Amino acid sequence: MTEAPDPPAGPLRDPHHRVSPKAVRLWLLEAVVALVLFAAGSFLLAAWIPSWSWLPLWLSGNSWLVPVVVLVPATPFLVVEPFVRFAVHRWELSGDVVYARSGFLTREWVFVPVSRIQTVDKAQSWFERLFGLATLEIRTASHAGSSTIQGLDHTVAAGLAEHLARRAEELRDDAT
Amino acid sequence: MSEQGATKLSPKVLLIDPVRMLPSLLIPLVGVLFVGGFSPRSFGWAAFGVLGTIVFAVVRWATFSYRLVGDRLEIRRSLISRSVRTIPLERVRGVDISTPPMHRLLGLAVLKIDTGASGGGEQEGELDGVSVAEAERLKDVLLRSVRAARAAGAATGLDGGPEGHGSVAAPPLAEGQAVHRPGGASPDTSLERPFEEPQEHVIVKVPRRWLLYGPLSGAFLFTPFAVAGGAIGLLFQWGDQLGLGRDAAWNAGRWVWDHPILIVAVVLALIVAMPFVAAVMYAVFNWDFTLKEREGYLVAERGLVTRRSVSLEARRTRGYEIVDALAERRAGVVRMWAIVTGLGDSETRGQLLPDVPRPVALEVASQSVGPFTAPLRPHPPVARNRRLFRAIVPWLALAAVPAVLAVATATPAWWIPAAVSLVLAGLGVPLGNDRYRSLGHGYDGVRLLSVRSGSLRRSQAVIERRAVVGWRLRQTWFQRRAGVLTLVAGVGAGKGGYEAMDVSEEQGVAFPAEVTPEWLTPFLTRD
Repeated sequence: MTEAPDPPAGPLRDPHHRVSPKAVRLWLLEAVVALVLFAAGSFLLAAWIPSWSWLPLWLSGNSWLVPVVVLVPATPFLVVEPFVRFAVHRWELSGDVVYARSGFLTREWVFVPVSRIQTVDKAQSWFERLFGLATLEIRTASHAGSSTIQGLDHTVAAGLAEHLARRAEELRDDAT
Repeated sequence: MSEQGATKLSPKVLLIDPVRMLPSLLIPLVGVLFVGGFSPRSFGWAAFGVLGTIVFAVVRWATFSYRLVGDRLEIRRSLISRSVRTIPLERVRGVDISTPPMHRLLGLAVLKIDTGASGGGEQEGELDGVSVAEAERLKDVLLRSVRAARAAGAATGLDGGPEGHGSVAAPPLAEGQAVHRPGGASPDTSLERPFEEPQEHVIVKVPRRWLLYGPLSGAFLFTPFAVAGGAIGLLFQWGDQLGLGRDAAWNAGRWVWDHPILIVAVVLALIVAMPFVAAVMYAVFNWDFTLKEREGYLVAERGLVTRRSVSLEARRTRGYEIVDALAERRAGVVRMWAIVTGLGDSETRGQLLPDVPRPVALEVASQSVGPFTAPLRPHPPVARNRRLFRAIVPWLALAAVPAVLAVATATPAWWIPAAVSLVLAGLGVPLGNDRYRSLGHGYDGVRLLSVRSGSLRRSQAVIERRAVVGWRLRQTWFQRRAGVLTLVAGVGAGKGGYEAMDVSEEQGVAFPAEVTPEWLTPFLTRD
């Protein structure tokens, strides 16, 4: 195996569009719900632990540690996540290719050419409806070549879905 | 395109069905006889049970039928509820004929119709128990009418949905086949000629001496242990059924425990048996593996007891995957799978070749898809550190736990697991290095791209550029700190995505930009 030089290419630029600012509020709400669930779960566990006889005494005697251990590391993560996501999540449609970036701890960049799109779904969860947001799911024949754009304004998502579906129909290329 | 009335399966399946049900019926029957104290009445009940099975089989046979109507195959069942499964012929991706032993004895076959439905086996058709001749006839009709429909679509220029595309996709493949084929079939076999005798052309017939490579793949190596485990389980179950009870089993277990030499001997025997049993199993499954080309289909036939024949549409082949385990690499043999669009269960169905010498596999690959000659680019050195870290550190951590316990509790026995973990950590050094050496990605500049990874099971995928439906770059927090990322080529075939693991950030952008410049260029900041 001989080494081949990598062809030169500039770094990627950011996709043009941010997601809707309302998405931060949605994600914060989701974080609060998650936090409440975590808290409730850990307090429940803490109330239950003293009745477990098989645990060592130092643990069953200090069951108040459980919520602390759960909530102290989880809280900053959950609070920071919406803002980081808003900074990271971006999308763009140029040259009939959808380019989207997403992620929090793990970042993802996805390129989906419109000619390979099979279906475009616009989904709205209960919370998303509350904020007038929507999620766009762009599917190709491969899960690895499919993209999900969260936190779009509902009208933007509807327009984009409509445009992509129409354009995909025109460009349909079924080599796959 | 033929039309016919509803056809039933061969009545000979009635000989197979009750026999197949017998094992599940045996224990209740014996139970009835025991409980009834072998009285005439208990024999009556047992006979009733057997009769019931036969009646069930007959009714099932009588209420099952299939027929070809115009452009679809209908499979009707009306045993409990009426159901009609309709398979449009244009959806047929391949036909799979197998002959289990009892079927073969009676001249029957099982015909499976692959529709490329992604929803698992739910939407596929199965005709269990047609005569071999009928199976072959159906296969010809099914595959031929598909081709005829396609040819008609292409001739009239009707772009009838996805299939109309055949006229565009076929030429490069047909060309490649005509050029590379060494004699044999005439060059135009892959052109659309719907109504002639099927032309066959054997690409490879694997010689029997190559079956000896089988155990190198590691397949079936653990069969002796699985068999032994199954036997012990069965013994306990039957012991219970036959009223030997727990005590007897317990006593037997204790007796064995008191003779540790016996245990060691049995385990040693099982270990010694591993390669031999593996070789036998491998030979049974891959006996006379033959890869043929018939009217635009790749047909793989294999098996000694159950002869299996899988047809893959050559036109839908988008690449191949070459797999070799550590021992196979030493011996210079590889296994090969086809990457085909819309093929369900591609792990078993897509296999093109069992263990064969690498040059043979490469020859077949270059005939069916094309040769990949471009060099693979290595991944950055930091990828090596990550491979080494992953291969070594978990075992070190695992060694630390018993080591601490050994010191804390002053029990020397804890040093044994610690030492084992340390040895495994040591083995992680060559393993990590080898995993790094395997990493690579490349593009021949025209048509084919390739990614490779893995060590104990190294796998190199070669994929046509046109099969790529999108790109995905993924970077975990750890990868971000190391300045690498994982590039996934989304492919609408095979596994769906093929990864180039731990490429540098520059490579991760440069590779997609090189393969599909028209997609990436708008998003690059060229200086």
